[in-house]
Amino acid sequence: MSGSNPLHYNGGVVLSMAGDNCVSIASDHRFGMSQLTLACDAQRIEPLHDRLCVGLAGLATDCTTLAERFRYKHNMYRLREKRVMRPRTFAAVASSTLYEKRFAPYFTEVVIAGLELEEDGKRGTSGADAMTDAVYRPYVCSMDLLGALMVTDNFALAGTCAESLYGTCETFWQPGLDPDALFEVTAQSLLAALDRDCMSGWGAVVHVLTPEGITTRELEARMD
Amino acid sequence: MSSSSSSSKGGNGGGFNFDHHLRNQWITACLQGNADASTTDPVPNYARHARKTGTTIAGVQYVGGVVLGADTRATEDTVVADKNCEKIHYLASNMYCCGAGTAADTEATTRLIASQLELHRQAVGRARVPVVAAVNMLKRHLFRYQGYVSAALVLGGVDEWHGPSLYTIYPHGSVDQLPYVSMGSGSLAAMAVFEAGWREQLSEADARQLVYEAITAGIENDLGSGSNVDLCVIKDGGRTVEYLRGYAQEQVRTYRKPDGYAFPKGTTAVLAEDFRKYVQVRKVVSDL
Amino acid sequence: MADTASSFSLTVFSSSGKLNQLEYALKAVNAGATSLGIRAKNGCVIATEKRLPSALADDATIRKVESVTEGIGMVYAGMGPDYRLLVQKARKVAQTYYQTFREPMPLAQLVRELATVMQEFTQSGGVRPFGCSLLLVGYDAEEEPQLAQVDPSGSFFFWKASAIGKNMVNAKTFLEKRYQDDVELEDAVHMAVLTLKEGFEGKITERNIEIGIVGPDRRFVALRPAAIRDYLGEVE
Repeated sequence: MSGSNPLHYNGGVVLSMAGDNCVSIASDHRFGMSQLTLACDAQRIEPLHDRLCVGLAGLATDCTTLAERFRYKHNMYRLREKRVMRPRTFAAVASSTLYEKRFAPYFTEVVIAGLELEEDGKRGTSGADAMTDAVYRPYVCSMDLLGALMVTDNFALAGTCAESLYGTCETFWQPGLDPDALFEVTAQSLLAALDRDCMSGWGAVVHVLTPEGITTRELEARMD
Repeated sequence: MSSSSSSSKGGNGGGFNFDHHLRNQWITACLQGNADASTTDPVPNYARHARKTGTTIAGVQYVGGVVLGADTRATEDTVVADKNCEKIHYLASNMYCCGAGTAADTEATTRLIASQLELHRQAVGRARVPVVAAVNMLKRHLFRYQGYVSAALVLGGVDEWHGPSLYTIYPHGSVDQLPYVSMGSGSLAAMAVFEAGWREQLSEADARQLVYEAITAGIENDLGSGSNVDLCVIKDGGRTVEYLRGYAQEQVRTYRKPDGYAFPKGTTAVLAEDFRKYVQVRKVVSDL
Repeated sequence: MADTASSFSLTVFSSSGKLNQLEYALKAVNAGATSLGIRAKNGCVIATEKRLPSALADDATIRKVESVTEGIGMVYAGMGPDYRLLVQKARKVAQTYYQTFREPMPLAQLVRELATVMQEFTQSGGVRPFGCSLLLVGYDAEEEPQLAQVDPSGSFFFWKASAIGKNMVNAKTFLEKRYQDDVELEDAVHMAVLTLKEGFEGKITERNIEIGIVGPDRRFVALRPAAIRDYLGEVE
């Protein structure tokens, strides 16, 4: 079944979780063609700026194209408006980029993880005056291949083992996780789901975004 | 105007881009082990992976306004993708629109029309536009795409010309105007409640209760609908809107391990760790 | 035809390196009823003189101060019909921006887009430049109030206070004398009325001027005649 679905052809999964003043985004490293594994260093997460990452799961060729288009659009915005995109602004851009091709879509699902300045985004998040002592709110959302936006306050995910991941995340996630706890919960949810999926795996990576910086951890995972 | 660099055509003018059509047909054919693209399943496999709102949406007209209601479940195939999604969409200050069908379509369609309604309102220079204007814009959009934009809508609003009005718009562009309506996979359950409980000259409180019961019937009896009840009351000539997000929570998760599952720090084996600290740049005002 | 180069097309340089059509467009602007704008500490105001073509015209049907988005308003000096087209363009551009980014268009972006449209009409074949200058008020991305001016050439400026149209020079001199950086919005409205009063032909009433303000609530409103009358009473 999954063999005939372009979304599952190359494998791969992306997961993002919200914490207290922090947010995580994680993915596996497998790149394959159906059951055949070709590489185990796939990068599915694209950092757009210090406090915004986008993860792409689906057909690898479309993921690459979209990552480039997103970067292009973000760079153009930054040059034009002299500020970086707020996560929710980027989500709107990503959504309309996908919906534009509603009837001949990219085979890609998008997960967005970012930190948004408290005060309801009243102040621009221009990197220049963003201060680390400011309070940030995690922004987590996902969209399907047509760009239907789903903003959540807990976790968002996409990829071949989405069903297992919904289960593990639903169990392990809880509100108010600090960066270290968020990392453990994200990693454990992901690893547990990966163990039940032959289309994804071969190592994984977890990024945790905090106001102070990004922590990136490569995980030891089953390599089969 | 090719110059407007910020206005990427991004799904606004309703202009869709078909660049990937042949490629997608070919990819789908190849993956199905079928070299001849023309005999490929016309309903592509990936379509099942678009997020749907299985949905119960409904609305009732009462003497001073309309009450709209919706459940909050979104599904991807058989998976519940969103337990608390918002299905009552803003169209204008005096109208809201419930959407059932493909989530992306209901979302994009209502946003597009909301935009056009605002332009129309500014052009005619009034505080509000009539609900029929929205009905016409929506049905023309849906009819133009021959049902392929799969949005089934319940539109409610109040204006100074026709008072409270309630419409349903089908994906192919046909329209009904009735005092009580329902749509979506749970519409049968909801309509059963309406047929049993509706009467003329409902009060606002009774109308709210009736819509709440109708949506609950959908949540309980239709697998495509679930979670919470959202309500939206539009009244007072379109000047007052009460958007009651999470009006009732019907299916709260019953058991959760009290303290959750805590993983002590270091549970997960890490191969490599890297910390990228942000450099703080503050604006400096020069004295020069 | 002394100037053969510019008789080819409307938008070709003259031998002296000028675009004559732009000079003429500015003349049209300078013949138009005066409009002005002031940036205050906590908002912006635009005001304009409403010259009726005849005493028989219904003043209530003529509107010069228009809102573009909830938080942005504009006014003009010059040719009314040209202005109407630009208002329509501005509203469409703002809606497109909102559709794409789901956030209100910052004033600077709208000004840039409008200026781009106006510039195109100085370089395209078969068209003439717009016969009006614009004043726009609103908030920028940094959430500060801003006052912008766009000219037929497509150049744009941000001002503390500015005036366009017939009485521009006097009005600007008046504003230069009066303006203070920490002026409050209410005082700015008074200043705007007083500036219009300078060199106003005939008696100034709520029927022959228009005022639009955007305050800390970031909502632009074109004042109703009754509100304008109150301001007129206050500066008496």
